[in-house]
Amino acid sequence: MTGLKKKTALTRAGIIESLQFRLSTAVMLFANLIYLALVYFLWKAIYDSSGVDVVNGMTFYDTMIYLILATAIFNLLEMFIVWDMSRAIQSGEIIMHLLKPMRYRLYTFWSYSGAHVNNFFLSFVPTFIVVVVITKGAIPIGINLLYFMVSLLLALIVNFNIEMLVAPVCLYTQSTWGINIVKETVVLLLSGASIPLAFFPEGLRQAVEYLPFRAVYDIPLTVLLAKNGTDSLSGLLPKLGIQLFWCVLLSVCGNLFWNHAVKKITVNGG
Amino acid sequence: MEMKTAKKRGLSFYLSIYKKILAQDLKSKMSYRADFFISTFGMVLTNISGFITFIILFHNFPSVNGWDYHHMLFLYGFSLIALTPVQCFFDNNWNLRFMVRSGDFIKYCFRPINVFFYFISEVFDVKGLGQFVFGLGTFIYAWAHIGIPVTVVTVAEAAIFLITASLFMIALMNFAAATCFWIINSGYVMVIMFRFKDFAKYPSSIFNSVFRFIFTFLIPIAFVAYYPSLVFVTPDHVPLLSWLSPFIGSLFFFLSYKFWMLGVRKYDFTGS
Amino acid sequence: MSNEVIVMKNISKQFKVLNRHEGLKGSIQDLFSRDYKIIKAVDDVSLTVNKGEIIGYLGPNGAGKSTTIKIMTGVLEPSAGEIFVDGRMPYKDRTANSENIGVVFGQRSQLWWNLPLIESFNLLRNIYLVPEKDYRNMLELYRSLVDLEPILHKPVRQMSLGQRTLSDILAAFLHNPGIVFLDEPTIGLDVSMKARIRELIRGLNEVKGTTVILTTHDMGDVDALCKRIIIIDKGRKIYDNDIEHLKSYFGSYRTLRMRLGDDSWVEQVIDEKKTDVMHVMQEMQKEHKIKDIQLQEISTEEVIRKIYEGGESA
Repeated sequence: MTGLKKKTALTRAGIIESLQFRLSTAVMLFANLIYLALVYFLWKAIYDSSGVDVVNGMTFYDTMIYLILATAIFNLLEMFIVWDMSRAIQSGEIIMHLLKPMRYRLYTFWSYSGAHVNNFFLSFVPTFIVVVVITKGAIPIGINLLYFMVSLLLALIVNFNIEMLVAPVCLYTQSTWGINIVKETVVLLLSGASIPLAFFPEGLRQAVEYLPFRAVYDIPLTVLLAKNGTDSLSGLLPKLGIQLFWCVLLSVCGNLFWNHAVKKITVNGG
Repeated sequence: MEMKTAKKRGLSFYLSIYKKILAQDLKSKMSYRADFFISTFGMVLTNISGFITFIILFHNFPSVNGWDYHHMLFLYGFSLIALTPVQCFFDNNWNLRFMVRSGDFIKYCFRPINVFFYFISEVFDVKGLGQFVFGLGTFIYAWAHIGIPVTVVTVAEAAIFLITASLFMIALMNFAAATCFWIINSGYVMVIMFRFKDFAKYPSSIFNSVFRFIFTFLIPIAFVAYYPSLVFVTPDHVPLLSWLSPFIGSLFFFLSYKFWMLGVRKYDFTGS
Repeated sequence: MSNEVIVMKNISKQFKVLNRHEGLKGSIQDLFSRDYKIIKAVDDVSLTVNKGEIIGYLGPNGAGKSTTIKIMTGVLEPSAGEIFVDGRMPYKDRTANSENIGVVFGQRSQLWWNLPLIESFNLLRNIYLVPEKDYRNMLELYRSLVDLEPILHKPVRQMSLGQRTLSDILAAFLHNPGIVFLDEPTIGLDVSMKARIRELIRGLNEVKGTTVILTTHDMGDVDALCKRIIIIDKGRKIYDNDIEHLKSYFGSYRTLRMRLGDDSWVEQVIDEKKTDVMHVMQEMQKEHKIKDIQLQEISTEEVIRKIYEGGESA
């Protein structure tokens, strides 16, 4: 119980800290709206020019809902672990983290959880409500929302594990920007966050099926929109199974890698 | 009292200092070889990924708003080149908020040279050159396919418009970075601005009038590639804004610089 | 012709700080609150500094030392009052002012992290437009004062803290400024390094006639270098005079320690204005056997501590 208390204390501290950035909340909301408008106009122009209503099985509405919610999930899940860790390594602060009476992985996870809770209520939920109201019934409201929460939680864990798998690379290379940009580029493209996977050419799409990235955006969104039979348990469980599989595999790999990397820590400066 | 007058420091002084700092910076970069290669790889990967996104879009949709494949490609190449200087020369803006917050920023205020120059000069980002090469290739390929004549005038125009177009993104990032003097943890402003650049490569005619106004006059992403490209893509109907873009760019850059310096003056430096 | 290099008249500096509230509810309130409080970091401070002085600028943490230095260097604009450094208003003419000052600020190196020291020197020489000959002479002087060779070709990031501090001080004097500000130059250094740094500062001050403003918490620095000290507390100046005067100003205290017949030590602080040491000893001898005595001067550190603790009451 004290373990849980310690963790929820971190969550609380995270909530307080991110609320204190009062202006940031407002600006972020505004900027996200502009960004969404950009996405809207781009795809509207694309669909208008194509002359057909349905491309690759997706209508303009489908595509928009998908992309807007993908952006919302992106904001929700965004972590700066690679940055944080490489900064901590360069400043030598990493030692302090390692001395804390909680494993670094757990500590990082729980200290981000406050921001996640905030982002969920301040960014994701409003976006979702706006999308539901505007599209009038394009998103089914029912048991799929509950399934989505489960899937989203798994997506969060997968995403965290991808970060934690990549971050220790900077222990070996002292590279910050490089590692981060490689991770970000790969995840954004191959997870279907910038273009729905349905639009990918056949070969690429099949390749992506076997990678962990779709567990972050594509699966939760499919579940939320109740596509591909995910509104029934028989359709849902395999999808959650895939997410769970990646959670386990990535966290095992991440743990092994981290343990190896910690031994290698070479701290800069005195 | 012995009163020394301030020594004159003109453009040639700053150029020579920049050259010296740059040379030293490159020398020291070579000592982080792994980072150099991974970053270069990352940069190439980003460009390839952007290109794949581009191809996937046009694999499904052969034209957008009357812009065909090669015109879009021209815009794409133009934007990549225009976005290179901000990457290569102004990358230190990303460190600004950390330095301001930790108090380390104060060291830039003790030298008898321009604070903005001193701060910006400290980082030169080599990997941006990869993007430049990538963009230049795309640009030349599209240029040839569209059949734009190669004359002294068009080439000179291309150079001028590319350089001034780059000022818009630099200015935007200056504005975004300088917000950290007023707002705690303003990193997200930079992240958002940086994301907006993705839309520089699409024709602004796709937006409705409200957003076209926003992206022309408030967050002038449209000037990074769209307006200046029109000079080459539709030479018969070039809007006035396209011709004005070099002047607007210079002005916008100047304003961003003033804003940045205002931040330095107004900041409390309570970090230490 | 005046000898005053820094003149501060009634300088104040205020900061506006948001009143933060406690807890989760409080931080939601803060999202909308306009509840600011004014903090006076420097409150009506006047002082003058003469050419060639080494001044110890002291005060407890948060007393306003750094803010004063930032005003003198032109980084901050005072909220009220007048300041002239070498006849200029620093915040109005920051660039010209920084030609003539050198700054070592805390433990933050101002050198290029990845460059060998000599390359940093080279860049600084170009930035300050130091003539070639002056630069060579300065390096010669440095060689005569410290062992330069082991650090000259070493990148700053690979240096020990001591070497880095040394390098930063050398860099601050490189363009032969009239005034050098040193903010806690010996913090975190070992005893022998501290001694070398003090030696260097004194040497440069003597040879170049540089005025030095030294903020520190280490009274060893003060004893070794400063004749005059200025103390501020809560933004106000509470002492500005010679260091010798400080002790008498505070009272001529000495501590008498005596070893008695049973080998135990007793201590007695004596105010010599009221009674003298011999008298105390005679009184003691009437009742106890005294085997040994020690007489200790009160240290600057103790005096300063008493001032910090007791405010102006001294």
